[in-house]
Amino acid sequence: MSEPENHRALSVQVEQLRKEFGDKVALDGIDLAIEPGSFLVLLGPSGSGKTTMLRCLAGIERPSEGTIFIGEQVVVGPKVFVQPEKRGLAMVFQDYALWPHLSVKKNVAFPLHNSTRTKAERDRLVGDLLERVGITSLADRFPNQLSGGEQQRVALARALAAEVGLILFDEPLSNLDADRREQLRIEIATLTRESGSTAVYITHDQSEAFALADKVGVLNQGRLIQLDTPEAIYRHPKNAFVARFTGIAGEFPVATLRECGPQHLEVVLPFAPGETIEALAFDRPGPDSASSLFVRAAGVTLSAPSSNSGVRGEIRDVAFNGRGYEHVVSVGSGAVLTKIFSAHKFERESNVRVCFDPSSCFVMDPSKGV
Amino acid sequence: MAITILNAPDLDETPRGESALSPSYRHDRRRRFSPGGVAIWIALTLLIIAPVMSFLALSVSPRMFQQGSEWFTTKFIGQAFQGYTGRGIFDSLWVSTLVSLLAVSIATTLAWMIHRTNVGGRRMWAVMMWLLLLMPTWMMTLGWSDLLQPFGAAQAVGINTRYLYHEFFGPMGIVIVLTAAALPFAYFIISAGLQGLGPEYEDAARIHGASRFLTIRTVLPIIAPALLSAIAISFAETMSDFGVAYTLGYHSHFPMATYALFNAIANYPANFSVAAVIAVVLILSVVPPIALQSKVMRSRSYAVLSGRTKPPRRREFTPRGRVAATAVVALFFFVVLGVPVLGAVGGSFISNLGAYSASGVHLTMRYYTQVFNPSITGKSLFAPLLLSNQLGLIVATGTGFLAVILARRLVASRGGWSQRVTDIFLLGSVAVPGVVLGVGYIFFYNLPFVSNNVVNIYKTLPLLMLALVASALPGQTRFMAGPVSQIQPSLGEAARVHGAGRLRSWRTTNLPLMSRVLLWGWLLTFTKTISELAIAQILYPPSQEPASVTIQSYLANFESGTGTAMTVMTLVEMLAVIGVAMLIYRLVTPRGWRRIGWSGVRS
Amino acid sequence: MTLSNIARGAVRSRVGAVVLAASVASLSLIAVPAVSANGAQGPTLVVYSAQGYDSAVVKAYNATHPGFTVTLNDNSTGPLLQQIQAEGNHPKWGVLWVDGATAFAALDLKGMLVKNSVPKNVKFNALGAANIPADRSFTPASLTVTGALCYDSSQISASQLPSTWAQLAEPAYQGLLGMNDPAQSGPTFPMIAGAMSFLGHYKKGSTAHALSVGKSFFTSLSKNGLVVNATNGPTIGAIQSQQIKMAMIQSSACYGSKLNGSFPTLAVKYLNFSVALPGVIGIDAKMPPAVRAEAAKFVAYVMSPRGQHVMQTGDPQGDSLFWPTIVGEKPANKIIPPLASAHAITINPYVWGPLESQINTWFDSSIANG
Repeated sequence: MSEPENHRALSVQVEQLRKEFGDKVALDGIDLAIEPGSFLVLLGPSGSGKTTMLRCLAGIERPSEGTIFIGEQVVVGPKVFVQPEKRGLAMVFQDYALWPHLSVKKNVAFPLHNSTRTKAERDRLVGDLLERVGITSLADRFPNQLSGGEQQRVALARALAAEVGLILFDEPLSNLDADRREQLRIEIATLTRESGSTAVYITHDQSEAFALADKVGVLNQGRLIQLDTPEAIYRHPKNAFVARFTGIAGEFPVATLRECGPQHLEVVLPFAPGETIEALAFDRPGPDSASSLFVRAAGVTLSAPSSNSGVRGEIRDVAFNGRGYEHVVSVGSGAVLTKIFSAHKFERESNVRVCFDPSSCFVMDPSKGV
Repeated sequence: MAITILNAPDLDETPRGESALSPSYRHDRRRRFSPGGVAIWIALTLLIIAPVMSFLALSVSPRMFQQGSEWFTTKFIGQAFQGYTGRGIFDSLWVSTLVSLLAVSIATTLAWMIHRTNVGGRRMWAVMMWLLLLMPTWMMTLGWSDLLQPFGAAQAVGINTRYLYHEFFGPMGIVIVLTAAALPFAYFIISAGLQGLGPEYEDAARIHGASRFLTIRTVLPIIAPALLSAIAISFAETMSDFGVAYTLGYHSHFPMATYALFNAIANYPANFSVAAVIAVVLILSVVPPIALQSKVMRSRSYAVLSGRTKPPRRREFTPRGRVAATAVVALFFFVVLGVPVLGAVGGSFISNLGAYSASGVHLTMRYYTQVFNPSITGKSLFAPLLLSNQLGLIVATGTGFLAVILARRLVASRGGWSQRVTDIFLLGSVAVPGVVLGVGYIFFYNLPFVSNNVVNIYKTLPLLMLALVASALPGQTRFMAGPVSQIQPSLGEAARVHGAGRLRSWRTTNLPLMSRVLLWGWLLTFTKTISELAIAQILYPPSQEPASVTIQSYLANFESGTGTAMTVMTLVEMLAVIGVAMLIYRLVTPRGWRRIGWSGVRS
Repeated sequence: MTLSNIARGAVRSRVGAVVLAASVASLSLIAVPAVSANGAQGPTLVVYSAQGYDSAVVKAYNATHPGFTVTLNDNSTGPLLQQIQAEGNHPKWGVLWVDGATAFAALDLKGMLVKNSVPKNVKFNALGAANIPADRSFTPASLTVTGALCYDSSQISASQLPSTWAQLAEPAYQGLLGMNDPAQSGPTFPMIAGAMSFLGHYKKGSTAHALSVGKSFFTSLSKNGLVVNATNGPTIGAIQSQQIKMAMIQSSACYGSKLNGSFPTLAVKYLNFSVALPGVIGIDAKMPPAVRAEAAKFVAYVMSPRGQHVMQTGDPQGDSLFWPTIVGEKPANKIIPPLASAHAITINPYVWGPLESQINTWFDSSIANG
């Protein structure tokens, strides 16, 4: 932490990036700008193109079309392709990619091979990094003598050792168990921000993305669907795919009753006769297309059946999670909401009232973005 | 999935982000027209395809190289399947099938004992397996027959082996020697497969109540790719073996395909066309094993190796069980390696080996003094052995270099037709007997078009070197493909991303990971080159006779004492080179290089 | 300098020394073939020879005939003939020099030999002259016989031996006789052909009769326990291990094994006939005139008294044990009896040469592996 940051965070700009594998299109016209020093998470399911995107940035993959700037430098463009080692970046790999024949120390020191530092300075830097990631005692071990979490710490230290303006993360936590994942995520967040580098991080885990990102880019089928702050994406998912992928408690077909304000609708729940709720509709379905209601778990509250507001529901399951209870609730004839939090426990098969916060309910065309 | 790399599943198949796209990406990149790819195919054409095809063409078109009047005929196909040759083909097919099954069963047992139990002397057995791999079959046969023959080495110490001798000179001896020869190939492939097999599979089976037998039955299919790969390579190696066919097979009147091929061209004028038909049969015989493998592998993924595979747990024998198990393994190596070596070494010290002598056995150093100072024909082993070592050095280095490149391409092009074709090409090439390559080299490199426009090297040492490279390359490539595919691509990518250039990235990541297999591959080619006879005999240039030809001429001319002594000296010299090479490796490589790496050598 | 530095230096220098030594050794090993691989420039006469004394002859010739490079391609007869056949219409051989005339007859029929190449001023003895073809396309430079009965005098006395070939098929000799395989041993086909020719009273046009008489003779030998081994070595070895007591082989092989001390009790008996095996030398018709002229000089040298002397001393316990074909020359060793005692017959190579493949194939399937 005492180490001066002698590198400048780099901006990244991607224009009309396209990548084909045979007749498969992996990336389809991606436009993306990343502020220097910011932390971008690319979120998407398997096959969405996020790994390809990251590999294109790294220079391991050669895009079919498009331009990539890293800082001022064009690294990909018409007749331009800068080799990975000339791009001045670092990367943390999903499978760690530690060289099994090098000790932890040497793995971490690898990116320093071109540095002008003296050996003593390098040793100090490596020692400092190992301390920062908490594995000083393992310096002389070899990778296969380490646990997965320890290995990924080494990989993180190696990436930081490069002292570059851009660090790429390829699902670095996906091979770890839940506890370690949480811990290492925090370390990645703090150490990367401390280093001042720009970060591009890919994951398929929405909570990881929201926890880490300054901005989240949601990818599907090779397209960048939405790029925004985590809050904006949560509150204003651009379409059904984004809503689903960023976590919903339930999704039901609905019919519109009436408009009740700008981007506000009142909808009828066909499975719960007589019940209506209010919802947002910033991507309002056309008159002929189907409409569905997407509900975020955070926007649902439960209250006693005696309460006179809300929709009638029944508790299907309840799970204690430490801070309180997560419930599974059925509404009307079979529609189910999951992960509904309440500090108070509602017993199984008991009746409840379910209240919907209009700002967490979206009416959208369910086929959009899929 | 290809047999070559089945033993070492690619990590791309482990669930990971968008890995579904990865293989097709690789495929796509390789399919593109690249100068490197063209260069490789030109090299393969000059080395293997053109000479072998020149020879094979004669099977239907003898006129092509002035070997007959017809441009096209099928009469030789009929001829090849008749009488002696037909019997040879039939014998070779069943012997190779039996040998490949035997070799794989024994290799699996040994690999399991050495890698998965606490059997004693594990390091030593791994080294023994290497020595077995390096030992040419004709040397093995020589040792056995020196030992067992009437008035041979065994009789010299008072053991009557007459019964064994007659048993040995028959299908039984043939199967024993060929199995011993094929065993190391199977062993190394299965070992690699076994190492990728984490203990969790065994544990899972046992936890769910499987008996030990059921556990084995459940777990073995997981290494099915390795087993099938081992069967295919054992089969191809056995089909193409000439050393046994020429010695044991001939003496026991048991014709085999390679000897029938030799026989077809032994007369003057030689019947190259029938020989070509036999060669085609040998090459095509590898198709069924590969097809079987493709069929079995088609819909299943056997990616068992992952970065987080835990080191396997060894089964602990009881102390008595451990002694017994160790004794079984020791006995095995004694039979396949110790006996022939003892026979050859012992035989080389016995005066007039194989001769009745009323005054009993006399030990002598005479043959050894003749090795470098021959009193009879004026042929010393010194110059030939020096030449063979030079050839070995150049051929092993060149082959290693090409094999790494080829193996990388083979691994990168996995899946799809191109790989299956490459695979059949390589395994088919393994099945090409040396004499076919040798004669094919004369046909092709003596063509005026080639000697005037491409390269004029007929009757020179470079041609012999090329042919030896060509004969070693297919096996060596398959040998390296496993370890190459075990290297996760991300290791190289990580080096690139962290600022290492292409070369540096290869040097700092791939080279250390492959150093051990490169060393052993090099030694394998080195020793095989020194003991190679068929190609050497037909292609050695005027007055530059390699050691194997010199030894053979002594053995064929009632100078078998001297010939055996020369064989022993050559073996000792090769062992010395192996020792020196390993010593250098130990001294110059960093500790990290040696502690990882490749299953075959680590016990 | 600290102690550890000194130690490290020592290790490094040791490693360095090993690397240096290894590379020097490798380079010196490589250097030799690389240099010797550069063949001589200009026209070269290549002598393809399987004679034991060939290197001595070529060396002596080069010493006395400067100005033209004569190189020796020394190999066994089999590989030499395979090379020539594979070279086809683009031969590289200038002179072929092997035992047995049948291959030469075949080459002559293909027009590949220089006619009238027999040196003019050489006076051949009777058996020498008998082995010169009508078109004088090859020269019998020496003579051995095949079909000599080679036996262990300590095991069987001369009086117990047969005196005719026919007796070999009698019960008295059951399991005692061995011979070589024509597929592996060059001199064996002429012996089989000679036996067929003699026993079948071959006259022009009676090949079929001679063949059938000959085949039934060898079949009767086979039924009488004939042991077929690959070459002279294993066959003599079989006598030594008392597997058999006698063998029909080439005279020089038997004399050689006796003389070199490996089998002193070996002796030779000639039965009612043996088959003359000329050591034949011929010139390639497709070579340029300069090479052909040099080849003619080489042949003349071989047939000169000096050349004959070199042949008789070049391989004293092997191929030098021949009968000269020239009037006035005597065998090199007293062990060789007068040629008349061998009752040698000559076969017509133009008749029997073309039958080689057919007869050998029959022999292999019916006798050697029957």
